[in-house]
Amino acid sequence: MVRKSKYEGATCLDPRAALLLLLLVTVVVFAQQSLYLEFALVTVLVGLFLCCGLFKNGLIFMLGFGFLLVLQYYIFPIAPQIFADFFAILTSYARKVFPCIMVGMLIVKTIPMRYLILAMRKWHFPQKLIIPLSVTLCYFPVIREEIGHIRDAMKLRKVSGAAKAEAILVPLIFSAANTAEELGAAAVTRGIENPAPKTSVIELRFRLRDYICIAVGLIFVLAVFWLKRGAI
Amino acid sequence: MITINNVSFDYNREKNTLKNINLYIKPGECVLLCGKSGSGKTTVTKLINGLIPHFTENGRLDGTVVAAGMEVAKTELYKLSKKIGSVFQNPKSQFFNIDSDAELAYALENMGTTPEHMRERLKDTVEELQLEQLEHRSIFTMSGGERQMLAFASIYAMNPDIYVLDEPTANLDENAIAIFRHQLEELKRKGKTILIAEHRLYFLTDLIDRAVYMENGELVSIYTRDEFLAFSDEQRIKMGLRTLRADAFHATDFPMLSSANVLTVKDLCCEIKGSCIFDHVSFHVGSGEIVGIKGNNGVGKSRLVRCICGLAKEKKGSISLDGRPMTRRQRNKECFCVMQDVNHQLFCDSVWNECELSAGDYREAEIETVLRAFNLLGYKNVHPMALSGGQKQRLAIACGVLSGNKILVFDEPTSGLDYDHMMAVAGMIRELAEKKHIILIVSHDIEFLNCVCDRTITLTFNELQPKDNGGNRL
Repeated sequence: MVRKSKYEGATCLDPRAALLLLLLVTVVVFAQQSLYLEFALVTVLVGLFLCCGLFKNGLIFMLGFGFLLVLQYYIFPIAPQIFADFFAILTSYARKVFPCIMVGMLIVKTIPMRYLILAMRKWHFPQKLIIPLSVTLCYFPVIREEIGHIRDAMKLRKVSGAAKAEAILVPLIFSAANTAEELGAAAVTRGIENPAPKTSVIELRFRLRDYICIAVGLIFVLAVFWLKRGAI
Repeated sequence: MITINNVSFDYNREKNTLKNINLYIKPGECVLLCGKSGSGKTTVTKLINGLIPHFTENGRLDGTVVAAGMEVAKTELYKLSKKIGSVFQNPKSQFFNIDSDAELAYALENMGTTPEHMRERLKDTVEELQLEQLEHRSIFTMSGGERQMLAFASIYAMNPDIYVLDEPTANLDENAIAIFRHQLEELKRKGKTILIAEHRLYFLTDLIDRAVYMENGELVSIYTRDEFLAFSDEQRIKMGLRTLRADAFHATDFPMLSSANVLTVKDLCCEIKGSCIFDHVSFHVGSGEIVGIKGNNGVGKSRLVRCICGLAKEKKGSISLDGRPMTRRQRNKECFCVMQDVNHQLFCDSVWNECELSAGDYREAEIETVLRAFNLLGYKNVHPMALSGGQKQRLAIACGVLSGNKILVFDEPTSGLDYDHMMAVAGMIRELAEKKHIILIVSHDIEFLNCVCDRTITLTFNELQPKDNGGNRL
C-alpha cells in the first residue's frame, strides 16, 4: 500500500500541504508547554498516519511516545538519581521533537522526490537550490553502489587497515568524475538548458484532506497562543 | 537529413581525431558506424548531437555539420535536442531521477510540453516499446539492460527525427539486445533517421541501409548493406570487426580435466533478503580449464561468482578446492575477480605500487616478469588511472596473477571491446589457463565465449542447468 501510494498519482497529501504542516507542527512544538496539547497533537498525527495507510509506522510511533511518557512520569521518579539525571534531558528532548519526526517520516514515506521538487518549483525556490538538491539525492545511491564494488575489490586485494580509507578514495573520485562528465552530456542532450518554463506530467492539487490538515494545524497553533495568553 | 561537410576535428592540438569527414545521410536511413576502438566513431556521433563543439573544451573544428536543417555548431544544444535524440553507452550515468516514471517524462518536461500532451506521449511510448514492466519502478532496482531500455524510451518519448546511438548494447545481454532490435525496427518503420556506432554487429544486419567503416579518424569506405554482408570472415577480421552472424554457442575442444586442483561447487543456494536467487547449483572446474557462465540478466550470475569469491554469503551448499571446503575468508584468498569496471579495483598511485600491493614487497623480479608479459613494464611509473581501458584491464589481471590466487574470475571482460581487443583478452585468458589457473568467465558475449571457453554453464531461474556444450562433467 505504501509502495503504491509512492508511485501512483494520488499521494496522501499534497507536498505543499505536508511541508506547511511540518512548519506548523514545529511552531506548535517549540511554543507550547502543555502536555495535553502535545498528547493531542501526537494522537492527531497518529490518526493521519492511519489515514495514509501507514499502520505499522503509526503503531510504532504511538508505542514510542507512550514509552517516553511512561519513562518520564513513572520510571524516573523511582529510578536512581544518577539514571534519571542521565536520561532526563534526552527523553524530554526526544518527546519535544517527536511530532516533527512524525511529520518528517510521513513526508519521506508517502511523497516521492519529484513531487517535493515540483512543490519547491511552484513556490519559486531558486533553481540553484533545486537542481543541486535533486542531483545529490539521485547521486547518493549511485555512490553507495560504487562503494560496494570497491569494497569487494579491496577484500580480494588484501587491502587492510588504514590503507583502506585511502584506497577507497582513488577509485571513488575517478568514478565520480567520469559519472559527472557522462551525466552532464546526457543532461544537455535531453534539453536541460531549455529556457522554456519546465512543465510536469504530474499536477499538484489541494484537495479537501489538505485543507483539513492545514486547518487542524492552524487550530493547534491558535490553541498554543491562546493558552500562552491565558498563562500570562 | 544529416550532412557532414569536410569536417576535421581534434580534441587538442596534437593530432587530428577526425580527418576530412564527408557523409550525407538521407531521411529515414539507418547508418552503422563501425571500425576499431579509437577510430573516431564516438567523435562522429558527437558532431551530430552537438556535444562537439558545445560540450567539448579546447577542441578545434573545421567544416560544417547540418542535422535536421540546423547547423550544429551555431545552434544551441537545447534546440538540437528537440530533433536529435542521443543514447549513450553507460546505462548508469544517464539518469536524473530516482523513479522510472519521472525519468521517462524528464526530457519532455525540460521542453515545456503541456501535461496533457505529455501524458498521451508517455502512454504511447509505453505501449509502442512494450515497457509495462518498467513503469512505477525505482531505478536502483533495475538491471543494466532495463536501465538502457529506459534511457532509450525517454528519448523515444521526445519523438526526435534523428537518433544518435553510441554503443547502446555494450552492457546488454542477448534478450535485451533482441528487444532493442525490435525498438530499432519500430523507429525504421516510422521513417526516423538512425546513426548507430557499434561493435556488436550481428543484430543490426537486417536494419542497416549502409555501413560506414572508419579507421584512424578517417572515413575509409561506405558500403551498402549487401556489400557489407558479403564480407568473408577473413576480410571482416582483417578490418577488426565483430561477427555479423548470431552464432549459436559451440565449444572449442577442451583439455582433459586433471584430477588435482578442482574447484567444486556443490548444492549452492543463495538468498537476497530471504528470497531464493538460485538453488542446487553444482559444478566442477578443473585446473587449466576455462568455463563460461551464461544466463540472462537477473538470474544471479554475478551473485554466483561473488559467492564463489567469498564476497557474498551462501545459504546452503559448499565450495571446495581439492576436496577441501573453504570458508568465505579462505575463498577471498584463493580467488581474484577482474571486475566489469576495472576502475573499482585499482587503488595505488603507480602501476608498480599496484603490483607490489598484490605481490608483497620483496618480489621485484617476479613483478617485472609479469609486467613484461602483460606489456606494461614501460608504464611502471604511470598512474593506473592514466592508462587506457585495455591497459587497466591488463593491470588488474596482472595483479590477480601476482597475488598467486588459484581461481580467476572474469566479470564481463569484453563489454564494449572491438574484435582485436576481444581476441587479445581471449589470448591472455588462454595463457593463464596454461599456467593451470581455474578460470570462470561471466559474459553475455557469445562470440567471445565461443573463442575462449572450454565449456559453458547456463544459469537459469532457480537452478543451474549444466547444459552440455562439449562439457566433460565429472
